[in-house]
Amino acid sequence: MKLWWIQPLARAVVAVALPLSVPALITILIWALPGNPAEIICPPSLCTGGEELAARWHLNEGPMAFYFHWVSNAMSLDFGQSWRVLTGKPVQELMVQTIPNTLLLIGLALIPVTLGSVMGAFQKPAKVWDPLLVSLGVLPVVALALLAAAVVELNFAGASEDGLGYWSRMIAAALTLGIADGALSGSILGNRSIFEQENQQRYVGISILRGESNFSNTLPNLAGAIVGQYRTRVVQLLSAAVIVEVIVQVDGFGALLFKGTLKQDFGVVLAAATIFALISSSLLMLQAVVEVFQNLHMRRAPVLGLDDVGGDL
Amino acid sequence: MKKSWMLGGVLMGSAVLGTAVDVQFYDEALPITLNPLFATTMVDHRAHELYFDRLYYNDMSDNSVTSRLIDDSQTKIEDAGKSLRLTIKDGINWHNGKKFTAADICFTIDAMLNPRTPSPIAHYYREHLAGCTAEKSNVAKVTFKRVYHNPRERLKFFVLPKSEFSSTAVQPDTEFANTPVGTGPMKGRMGTMAARFEAHTKTSHHDPKLAGMKMSQALDPAVQINTLRNGAMHGIVSVPPIYRPELQTESEVVVKGYDLRSWWFIALNTKSGPLATKEVRQALNYSIDRSELREKSIGFDKNDKESPCEFISGPFVQASMYYNHEVPSVEFADSRKADALLTAAGLEKNGLWFHEGKPVALRIGMDAKLDKEATDLMTQIANQLSEAGFQPLVSKISTDDWNRKAITGQLSKEYDMLIGKWSFGMNEDVNDLFHTRSDTKFKGRHNIFNYSNPEVDATLAEYEKARTTDSAKNAYHKLHRQLADDLPYLFLWKLDTKSAWRSEVKDSNITPYYYFTDIDRWYLSK
Repeated sequence: MKLWWIQPLARAVVAVALPLSVPALITILIWALPGNPAEIICPPSLCTGGEELAARWHLNEGPMAFYFHWVSNAMSLDFGQSWRVLTGKPVQELMVQTIPNTLLLIGLALIPVTLGSVMGAFQKPAKVWDPLLVSLGVLPVVALALLAAAVVELNFAGASEDGLGYWSRMIAAALTLGIADGALSGSILGNRSIFEQENQQRYVGISILRGESNFSNTLPNLAGAIVGQYRTRVVQLLSAAVIVEVIVQVDGFGALLFKGTLKQDFGVVLAAATIFALISSSLLMLQAVVEVFQNLHMRRAPVLGLDDVGGDL
Repeated sequence: MKKSWMLGGVLMGSAVLGTAVDVQFYDEALPITLNPLFATTMVDHRAHELYFDRLYYNDMSDNSVTSRLIDDSQTKIEDAGKSLRLTIKDGINWHNGKKFTAADICFTIDAMLNPRTPSPIAHYYREHLAGCTAEKSNVAKVTFKRVYHNPRERLKFFVLPKSEFSSTAVQPDTEFANTPVGTGPMKGRMGTMAARFEAHTKTSHHDPKLAGMKMSQALDPAVQINTLRNGAMHGIVSVPPIYRPELQTESEVVVKGYDLRSWWFIALNTKSGPLATKEVRQALNYSIDRSELREKSIGFDKNDKESPCEFISGPFVQASMYYNHEVPSVEFADSRKADALLTAAGLEKNGLWFHEGKPVALRIGMDAKLDKEATDLMTQIANQLSEAGFQPLVSKISTDDWNRKAITGQLSKEYDMLIGKWSFGMNEDVNDLFHTRSDTKFKGRHNIFNYSNPEVDATLAEYEKARTTDSAKNAYHKLHRQLADDLPYLFLWKLDTKSAWRSEVKDSNITPYYYFTDIDRWYLSK
């Protein structure tokens, strides 16, 4: 236990490295693919001027120069222009337009997930409901998303970018995200199982004898695990958001990443993938901080003598 | 009643929210760019027709070459036919309110002639245009590289505003590509989920009756069809064949033909193994049962009198004046003829066909987007070739790779057969598809497997030199016969493209290829 700091330190190191390694990986990919992206717009046998376009996109001086140029610009929040998704539009503007929708979508999807976690912590609902929860968790996100897309499109079609249509689309997408692929049932069953196991620990029994609630005793011990589990759920929702946004046609960040990948718009892909990496990093860092505080808290706790527990152990 | 209530609700919602959208429709995808120099897809061309004007275009009523921008009564041919002096009509304004001038025409030509403009479209015009001089604010003199009998046909490009660019080396990734300024009937911008259009009325040359339009990306065809029937959308640009009968019975929807002059083919790699022998290519032609393919992949009903699909024997649609009706198409497979040709070519059959001791494997690729129109076409072709004794290996090719590699002749090593579709406007020039490739001479740029035949080249030269319609027609009739014999392509069919629009969208005449050329007349009945 003396080396308790290794785990949070490892998380912090990964959190710092992730946003730098993701664009590096994409840069390697760009150079690994045959041809260069400028040739999509200007195939050498069909037009001239491709070299100038490649230079404009900093593709002419090798992968290292491209990577460092992109990273240094990104540090000053200049992500360049979209190459093909919305050609010529600054990627930063695309992100400003789409990120709020994704955050709202994740936020809405987290409502059932969070409620499920809280219920699970209080051992609700009773186990008799488990078969229903398990079958709910089996629903695949693609199937639910297709259903939601069809319902919204049939009713609102082109008028679904604002007003009632917009909210219908968002809520349908959030429900899909928050329920499908075991998001809701996993949060209920997972938390219930963690707390159930912890409640069987001897110190909990002792605290009950002292007249304390078991929740106030288990929570500090489980804080790290709960944050870790929550982080996993958020990352899972972020990944699933890509699918849901594409199918339900939410103008979100995941859909932007998907379109960028499909159209080989590396201007968009680099920025979007790095932002996803940054979100994941922030959550990792948060988990590391919680683990540090949890360990410090546990180490600061007084050592109890026999008199304190009032029994003859 | 329910449908009109829903449509009313949608439109009222749009009005309350301040978006002047009259007509909403699905297109196959969203445009890649709104800068016409960088158009790559049919969706791009259709959208550009709304935002911009072409210098010349074909009038829908009589197919004559005409212009909204040029006063053709004052056009003069000069320099022994190598130049055209064009006079601009009065009162034409750009979307930003600036006056349209001769400098804009010359800027567009200069941009296309600038080798630093990375545009395949500009590359095409460099073959014909020599330069442009703005002699007055309303007079431009355009010079060609040589004398053409139809010079206006070479001026069907979209005109760009000089004021929006800092250099004639126009780049694709500028703001102009998503918020363009044109002289077209609609102004607007493109978003991530839709392209929006708003009527351009402050000019003398357009008077659209629709206040606005919105183009959304097509979803699942079944959802599109039901959305249209519900009245939540007004139109679908391309309806897959299998859904057409369903819509044709709908009283509130009108299904209309969209003449793309497009035909389908299987390009053969004439330099690959046994396919280098003409008899083998001819045998493949007899191994394909087009009738069965049509039934299984397009859902053609034998009892349907209006077939969406007509077989072809050469590189033109049957309605084209260039189509040689004396050359018959091959509708059914004929294994006897195929076997005889393969045996004559020295192949041996032992269950499978063998060439030089090895079974004949055919690597087949298909432009992936064709799957929407002809489901499983590639698999059906592979099945037929397999039955005929070949070993097919199939893979789909992404649209990007198709545009970047397949049509530029870069997949010769990877494939033996490529299934694709060519679409043409009124100009059905096929020289680039079959001429021996020469990058320096702008020849054979779309020659898929770098096919080369001196006799065919000579015929293509005849067409190029033709100064009358009859001589051009004779040259292409001859070409049709040569290609049907030499078979660098197996010609499949022309497949009709059909659109569907709700009946309240009136006078919605669809023009060939560019679709929205006649949009000024469209209106919505209340």
